[in-house]
Amino acid sequence: MLSDKTGSWTPVALSADLPAGTVMPARTPAGRIALWRSQSGRAAASADRCPHRGMRLSHGFVRGEALSCIYHGWSYARTGNCLRIPAHPGLAPPETIRVETHEVEECGGVIWVAVGVPTAQPPGLEGVAPLRSLTAHAAVAAIETAAGAKAGAGGLVWQAQDAQQIRLLLAPQGDEQTLIHVLLDDNSSLSQRIAASRAVERLRRTAEDLQTKGIAP
Amino acid sequence: MKLYDYVLSPSCYKVRLMAALAGVKLEIRPVDFHPGAEHRGTELLALNPAGSIPILEEGDLILTESAAMLAYLAAKAAPEWLGSGAPEEAARIQQWLSFAHRLTASLGGARLHEMLLRPGDIGALQAQGIAALRELEAGLVEQGLRGMRFLASDQPTVADIACFPYVALAPDGGIPLDPYPAIRLWSRAIRGLDNFIEMPGIHRLHELRPEPHVEPGEV
Amino acid sequence: MMQDAMVDEWYPVGLFSQLDVNGRKTALMGEPIEVALDAEDRAKVTCGDGRTLPVCVRYGHVWSSLGKPQKDLFAIPEADQPGRRLVDVGVIRVRCSPLRAVENFLDIAHFPFVHTDILGAEPHTEVEDYKVEIRQQEDEVWATQVKFYQPKAAKSASGGITTEYMYRVPAPTCSVLYKTCPPRPCEWDVITLFVQPLAEDLCDVWPWMALFDDVTPMTDLIHFQQTIFLQDRSILENQIPRLLPLDPGMEIPTRADLTSVAYRRWLKRHNYTYGAQLVAQ
Ligand SMILES: N[C@H](CCC(=O)N[C@@H](CS)C(=O)NCC(=O)O)C(=O)O
Ligand code: FES
Ligand SMILES: [Fe+2]
Repeated sequence: MLSDKTGSWTPVALSADLPAGTVMPARTPAGRIALWRSQSGRAAASADRCPHRGMRLSHGFVRGEALSCIYHGWSYARTGNCLRIPAHPGLAPPETIRVETHEVEECGGVIWVAVGVPTAQPPGLEGVAPLRSLTAHAAVAAIETAAGAKAGAGGLVWQAQDAQQIRLLLAPQGDEQTLIHVLLDDNSSLSQRIAASRAVERLRRTAEDLQTKGIAP
Repeated sequence: MKLYDYVLSPSCYKVRLMAALAGVKLEIRPVDFHPGAEHRGTELLALNPAGSIPILEEGDLILTESAAMLAYLAAKAAPEWLGSGAPEEAARIQQWLSFAHRLTASLGGARLHEMLLRPGDIGALQAQGIAALRELEAGLVEQGLRGMRFLASDQPTVADIACFPYVALAPDGGIPLDPYPAIRLWSRAIRGLDNFIEMPGIHRLHELRPEPHVEPGEV
Repeated sequence: MMQDAMVDEWYPVGLFSQLDVNGRKTALMGEPIEVALDAEDRAKVTCGDGRTLPVCVRYGHVWSSLGKPQKDLFAIPEADQPGRRLVDVGVIRVRCSPLRAVENFLDIAHFPFVHTDILGAEPHTEVEDYKVEIRQQEDEVWATQVKFYQPKAAKSASGGITTEYMYRVPAPTCSVLYKTCPPRPCEWDVITLFVQPLAEDLCDVWPWMALFDDVTPMTDLIHFQQTIFLQDRSILENQIPRLLPLDPGMEIPTRADLTSVAYRRWLKRHNYTYGAQLVAQ
C-alpha cells in the first residue's frame, strides 16, 4: 500500500510492539523480514533468512547495535554486513557476507518498511494513536465489506457500532491474510480503547466469515 | 517434594519452572513417556488413575493437576505468585488457570500429533489452538491498556506460568506465533524473569548476557 | 521424473521393540507403507501398492527400501561390542528435509547457541580445524579430530570438558557420531541419527545410541538425547528453504562447515537428491 512509481511503504508493526533490544518477524509484499530495534533504539529490517544456513533471523537476538542469528550466532549490522562469526573469533568477516536490508521509517507510532525506493515519506497520522495490531485470515476486500468502507491513502475509516470512529491500516500478508493496525483518536479514554479493541475482534470475525463463505467481492 | 516428570512435557515444565522461580528444590523422577508410555503403566496409574503427568508427591499429598501444583509451590515458598487477593485479580487468575486446559487440549494436542505422531484431527486442533491464542492475545492487549504486563496484574502470577509453556511451544504443533505481538512481549517478560529456566524448544535469551570478547586462540 | 538414486537405500521405518501384529502405518518417500510383525514374529513391510518390501532388523530398528538395495545396511561394529547399553530414543517428527536433519547433526558450531550450557557455551565458540574426507573404499563421508569445549557433554559428565568427535555419513539420511566417553577414556560413545524420509520436506527421526554407561538409568539417557534433539527441531523447522540447497551459491559455509560441504558434494555426486534443492530460487 501507499505506493508511488518507484516503491512503496508497508506498515509492518507498531513501534510499541518492538522494544529496544528485540527482534520480530514481519512481512512486506517483497517477502518475510526480521524487524529489530537496537539497544540505542534504532529500528532496522533485514531479510528473514540468514545467509549462512538459512535460519530465520527473526528467531535471533539483539545485542547492542547488532542482530545475531540463533543458529550459529553470526551477527549483522543494520546495514546488513556480517560483523562476527563466533566459530572463527579471529576472522574479520568478508564484505561479501551480508544480509539484504530494507529502509525503515517510524512515524506516529507505526513502523514502515520500504519496498523499492519510494520517493515520498510514509503518511503522517495526525490526531490518532496506535492501539494494537492483529492478523485476519481474510483479504482486504472482505475487511472492507465487513466495515462497509474502502481503504484510502490514510487507511480505512470505520464507524463501529457502540464505539467511536476507528482508523485501520491494512497490510496484505499473502495467502489471503491481512495485518490490521488499529488507530484511535489520541484523546480516547481507557474504556473507549478497550471497546475499540473488542470491536475490531468482531470486525475480524465478520470479515473471516465473509471470506470463508466467499461473499466478499 | 517429588515430581514425576518428562522433559518434553509442557505440563511438567510448568511445575519445574514454578519451582525454579519460587526457589524450591524438586526431586525429579523421570518418566519414560515417549517411547515407553510409562505413565500408563501400573506404578503410575496407582498414583494417578487418569494416566497423565505431572504428578507431585509430598508425604501423603498426591497432586495430579498442574494448576494445583503451582498453587502449592507458590503458597509454600513464594505467596506473591498467588496475587494480591483483590477481587478482580483473583478472578482473572482463576479465569486463566481454567483457560489453560484449553491450551493443553488444543496446542498440546497439535504438538503431540506433529511431533510424537499421536493420532488426532490436526486441522481441528490447530484451529482451536489459534482461537485460544487469539483470546489470550486480546486479554493481554487489554491488560497492556490497563498498564499491566501480565495476565492478572503487573506482576507475574501462577496464571502466567499455567499458560506460558503451551503457548511458547505452539510452533512445535505447526501453529506459528508470528501474528501475536502482545503474546510476544508477554513471553519475553516471562523469559526475562530472575531464575527463569528453559525447556527444549524454548531457547536461551542470549541477549541477557553481554557479547563475550574473545581473542583468537584464547579459548 | 528421473528416479532418485536414494530409492535403493535402506531407511529406518520403526522400532522393532514396538512392532505388533496390528502394524504401524507410515510412509517412505511419499509412498504409504505398513510395518508389522508377521505370524512368526518377523518384521514385514508392505507398500501401499501391495508389494512386500525388503526388510532387515538392525540397531533396534526395522529398515526397509522402496527399491532394490545393492548392499547390506552399513555396519556399526561397536554396536556388537559387549558392555554397551543400546538406547532406543524413539521417533520425533520434523517438518524439514531429511538431508537438513542430517546436516545439522554434523554441525558443532551451533552448540553454544542451541544447546546452551549442555553441549556448548559462550565464550567457547571457536571451531578449530579438523579433518574431512570422503573415504573411497567405504564410500562414506568422515570428519575426524573434531574438538569442542562442552559444559555437560553427556548424562554421565559432571563438569566441562573438551570433547573429541568423529562423524560419519554411511548413507544419505543416516549419520553416526563417535564421541569421547567420560567413564572410559579409550573408547568412543556411539550416537546415531537415523532419518526416515516421509516426504522431501518431512521426516521421522530415530536417534539411537550405544554407550558405555552402567550408572545412568535408561530413562535419563533417553531424555538427555530427546532434549538435545528437540532443541535442534525448532531450528530445523525454521530454515529457509526447507529443502537442502546443493547449489553452492545459495548458502555461505566457512571452515567450520567443511563436513557439511563434503556431505553436500557427496550427495550431489551420487545423485542423492530427495530432499535437496538443486537450483537457487
Ligand atoms: N492433569 C493435567 C494433565 C496435563 C497433560 O495433559 N499431560 C500430558 C503430558 S504433557 C499427559 O500426561 N498426557 C497423557 C497422554 O497423552 O497419554 C495437568 O496437570 O495439567
Ligand atoms: S544459519 Fe545463521 S548463523 Fe548459521
Ligand atoms: Fe544440535
